[in-house]
Amino acid sequence: MFELTLQAIYSGVLTGGYYALVALGLALVFGTMKIINLAHGELVLLSAYIAYTAESQFGLNPIAAIPFALVLVGIVAVAVYLLVGRIKRDRELNSLILTFGVGIILTNFVLLVWAADIHSTTTTWFQEAVVVGDVLFSSRSEILFFLVGVALVFATWWWLSRTWYGRAIRAVSSNRDAAMLMGVNPRQTEILSFVVASVLATVAGIAIYTGQVIQPSLGHALTIKAFIITVLAGMGSIPGVLLGAVLIGVIEALTVTYWSSALQEFTGMVLFLVVLLVRPQGLFGFGARRG
Amino acid sequence: MKNRLLAIAVAGAVALVGVAGAQAQEKIVLGSHLPLTGKLARVGTGMHEGITVAVDMFNRENDGKYTVELITIDDETSPAKAVAAVEKLAGEGVVALTGGYGSNIIGPASEAANKAGLVYITSGGVAPELSKRGHKGFFRINNTEGYSKAMMGLLKEMGVKKVSILYNNKEATTDLAKTVEKDLSDQGIEVVLHAFDGGTSDFKPLVNKVKLQDKPDAIGMVAYENDYVGILKAGSVMKPDVKAVVGVWSLATSKMNEEFHDLVQTVYGTSMLPFPAEFTSPEAKEFAETYQKLHGTEPDYLGQFGYVQTKLLLEAIVRAQEAGTLGSGGLAEELRGADANTLIGEVKFDENGDNPLFSHRMGQHQGDKVVLVWPKDAATGEMIFPATPWSQ
Amino acid sequence: MRTSAVFPGLILIVLYAGVPVAVGHVDYVMSLIIAALTIGGVAVAWALLGNLGGMVSFGHAAFFGVGAYVSALLTLDAGWPVFPSMLVGGVGAAIASVVTMPALRLRGPYFALAILAFAHIFRILATELESITRGAGGLLSIPALPTIAGFDLSTKIGGYYVILTIVLLAMAGYAWLRQSTMGLALLAMHDTEDATRIVGVPSTRLKALMLVVSAFITGVVGAFNAHQINFLDPDYAFSGTWTVLPIVAAIFGGYRTISGPLVGALVIYLVDQLVFKEFLPHGHEIILGALLVAMIVLSPTGLVPLVMGMVRRGRHAAA
Repeated sequence: MFELTLQAIYSGVLTGGYYALVALGLALVFGTMKIINLAHGELVLLSAYIAYTAESQFGLNPIAAIPFALVLVGIVAVAVYLLVGRIKRDRELNSLILTFGVGIILTNFVLLVWAADIHSTTTTWFQEAVVVGDVLFSSRSEILFFLVGVALVFATWWWLSRTWYGRAIRAVSSNRDAAMLMGVNPRQTEILSFVVASVLATVAGIAIYTGQVIQPSLGHALTIKAFIITVLAGMGSIPGVLLGAVLIGVIEALTVTYWSSALQEFTGMVLFLVVLLVRPQGLFGFGARRG
Repeated sequence: MKNRLLAIAVAGAVALVGVAGAQAQEKIVLGSHLPLTGKLARVGTGMHEGITVAVDMFNRENDGKYTVELITIDDETSPAKAVAAVEKLAGEGVVALTGGYGSNIIGPASEAANKAGLVYITSGGVAPELSKRGHKGFFRINNTEGYSKAMMGLLKEMGVKKVSILYNNKEATTDLAKTVEKDLSDQGIEVVLHAFDGGTSDFKPLVNKVKLQDKPDAIGMVAYENDYVGILKAGSVMKPDVKAVVGVWSLATSKMNEEFHDLVQTVYGTSMLPFPAEFTSPEAKEFAETYQKLHGTEPDYLGQFGYVQTKLLLEAIVRAQEAGTLGSGGLAEELRGADANTLIGEVKFDENGDNPLFSHRMGQHQGDKVVLVWPKDAATGEMIFPATPWSQ
Repeated sequence: MRTSAVFPGLILIVLYAGVPVAVGHVDYVMSLIIAALTIGGVAVAWALLGNLGGMVSFGHAAFFGVGAYVSALLTLDAGWPVFPSMLVGGVGAAIASVVTMPALRLRGPYFALAILAFAHIFRILATELESITRGAGGLLSIPALPTIAGFDLSTKIGGYYVILTIVLLAMAGYAWLRQSTMGLALLAMHDTEDATRIVGVPSTRLKALMLVVSAFITGVVGAFNAHQINFLDPDYAFSGTWTVLPIVAAIFGGYRTISGPLVGALVIYLVDQLVFKEFLPHGHEIILGALLVAMIVLSPTGLVPLVMGMVRRGRHAAA
C-alpha cells in the first residue's frame, strides 16, 4: 500500500512537470497581457507533430526538431497576436472567441496534413526505465522533461522579474501609456511575450511527443489542462504554475490508484471548480477575479 | 424445308437470347455509410476498401448479368449524420445497405434503415443490444461473444489462473470486458477489472496497481490503439511480472508491428489473418490480388470483414432477384437462409440477424510478423509463452 | 410603416408553408434543416445569456445534454408522454444551471470556462451513473414525437414544425425580455455594472434569471433532439459540437440581434454540409474556424447587421 502511494505521488510529480511545461506559455500570455490564448494547446500539438515528422521522415532525434518547430510555432503565435490586435471592442471576450477559432483551424490543419493516426516517439532512449530504490519507476523522458519544466519555470520567473524586458512587459500590462512614456514600445514587448510563450509551447510539444501518444484531438485537451493549471496557480504567479501542475498530477495519480481510473479527469475538473469558486485568485496568485 | 425452318428457329432463338442477354445487365444500387473522417476514419476507410473489393469482384464475375453501383456517404463518425446518410441513400433508391462502424452510430443508422424498410448488414457493431431490437432486416457477421471466445480460448490454453483486465470505459470495450470476465469466471479463472477513461495518457499508476495489488498471471487489455500504446509503455517502465499481455482489436496489426515494433513484441491480439498474409484458397488469393490492385496495400481484418459482409449481401440479392422476391422482403429471407463458408469462417445468421458461429482468432507479434496462435486449426505457428515485451 | 409588419409575416409564411412544400419530401434535406434549427435554438439561448446576462458560456452542451437525458429517461423509464417530458427536460437543465450559479460571480473568461468544466463533469457523471443513464452504452429507441390531431409529428415535416416553433417561441421570449424593464436594466448593467448597482438593480439575481432561462431553452432543444434522433449517449449528448456550432452561428449571424443566431445557424450549417463538405471531406471544420476568426476581426456584430446595413443603405440610395 505504501509503495503504491509512493509511486503514485512520484508519477504525479513527474507528470506535473509536463503539465507545467504545457501551461507555462498560456500562463505567461495571460498574466502579462490578460489574453487567454485558447489555441495554445494546438500550438503545443503542432510542435509535437513537427517532431514526429522530423523523426519519421528524416530520422532526426525529436530534440533536434526544436529549431524547426520553433520557427513554425513562432510564426503562428505572432499571427495570433496580430489578429488579436485587430479587435476593437470587448477585447477580453472577443479574443477568447477568436483564439477559439484559431484553435479549430489548427486542429483541422493537423488533421489534414497528418491524418488521424496516433503517433509516439520510436527513439528508445526516451522510454528506458529509471528505477529509484526498486520502488520508484519512471521513464527517461519523464525525468528529463520534469527537470526541463522546472528549469523553464525558474527561467521565466527570473526573466520576468529581473531583466529589463521582463519588467517592460509587466509595465505594459499594468499601464500601457505610462510604459510608453518611459520609453517602452508596447507592441514590441507584447510580441516578445507571445514569442516566448511559443518557445515554451515548442518545448512542451517535444515533451508530449516523447512521453505519450499524440493525435489531432489532443490540442483541445491540452488547452483545457493548461487553463485549469493557470487558474489554480493564480494570475501573475509563475512559480504557482509548477506547484499547481504538480498538484493536479498528484491528485490524478492518487485518484487512479485509490478510486477509479475512469474518474481521473473528474477530480481535476472538480478541483478546478472548487478553487475557482472558493479562492478565485488562485492558490498562489494576487489580483482579484470577481465579476 | 424442315432443316431451313429449324435453322431459322435456332437463329431466332439465339438472337432472342442474345438480345435478352444484352439488355439483362441489371443494375444493383448498393448504399454504404462509413466514418471516412472523424475519430473512426481509419477503421471506416479500411472497411470501405473491403466493400469496394467485393463489388469489383462481383461485377467481374457477373459481367453481362448484373452490375453493382456502390454509393458511399461519409458519416463523419456522427450518429446524426449517419441517420441523414441512410435517409439520403434510401431516397436514391438503394436496394440495401452495407457498412457502419461503431455501435453508437450503427444503432440510430440501422433504425433509420429499418424505418425505410432496407436490409442493413455490418461488421462494425458488436454491442449485444443491436441484435435485440426485433429488426427483421438487420444483420451482422461478428459480435462481442466471438471476441470473447478468442480471448478466453487463448487464456485457457495458457493455463493462467488470474487475469487483470484493463478496459476503456466506452460502451463496446466495457461490454466486451464484462463478457470476458463472466466467461473466464465460469471457467474458474479469477478476473480483476479496471476501467479507465479514454483520455488517460499516463497508465503507470494503473499498471503499478495491477503489479503490486493484483499480481496476476496475465494482463488483458480491452481498448483502442492509443490506450494499448500507453499501457505497454507504462508496462515497459514498471515491468510487472506477468506471463502474457493480451489485447483485442486493432492490436495484432501490421501497423502496430511497424510503428511500435519493440513495444508490441510477444503481445497478443485478435486477428483473422497472419502477417505477412498467406492466402491459400483461390477466393482468398483473388481477394488479396484485387485488394492490392485497387488500393495498393495488403488487406487487414477490416477490409476482410467489409468484403465478407458485402459478398454475402450481393449473393443474397442475386438469389432474391432470381426468385422474384427482391422487392417484397425476400432479401432478408435469403440472407437468413444461407449457410456460407467465408474468409472469416462459417457464417449463418439467426433470427435476430446475429452470427453466433463467429469466433475470432488470436495472433501474436513475433519479430516482424504476426503469427496466428489460436485456435489450433487456424494457427500458423506456436505461441511464445511465457513472454512480455519487457522480459525480452 | 406597413413594411415592418409585412416582412416578418412573409418570413413566417415561407417558413411554415413554403419550405415544407418545396423540400418536405426530400428526407435528407429536411434532416439537415432540422439539425440547423436545433443548432439555431441553442444559438438563440447562448446569445440571450451573452446579451442580457452579459456572460459568455463555453459549455452550453452541459444544458443540452441534461435536457436530453431527463426527457429521454422520463419517456423510456417512466412512460411519460413526449411533450411534457421535453418541458421537464428544460426544467432539469434549468435546475442544472442553478448548480452552476456560483460561477456567476466570476468574470467573463472564467465563467466561460467554468461552464465548460461543468459540461465535462456532467458527461463523466452520465457515463458513471450507469444505473440511471445506462452508462456509456447510452439509450436506444427513445420514443419519437407523438401524433397530435391526426398529424404525425415523428415524420421529418412534423419534426421540422416542432423545432421551428420552439426556436421562434424562444426568439419571441428573448425579444420580450429585451424590451421589458428587466431587459433594460440588464442592458444598462452590461455597460456599467457598478453604476447600476448603486441605483439599486439586483444584478446578480437578474443574471441568474437569464442563466436559468438560457438553460431552459437549451434543455428543451436538447430534449427535442433526443426524440428526433431516438438515440443518446454521453459523448453525443454533451459533445463539444453543441457548444461550438451555436457560438459560430451566433457570432456569424450577429449575436446582438434577435434573428442573427438563427440566420447564422441556418447559413453556417447548411453551407458547411452541402458545400464545404464536398470540397474538403476531411477537416472541413477548418473553414468554420476561419470564418469565426474573420467574423471577429472584420465584423464582430455579425452577418445580419451587415446585411441589414446594406439593405438600409440600398433603400436610402433608391429614395
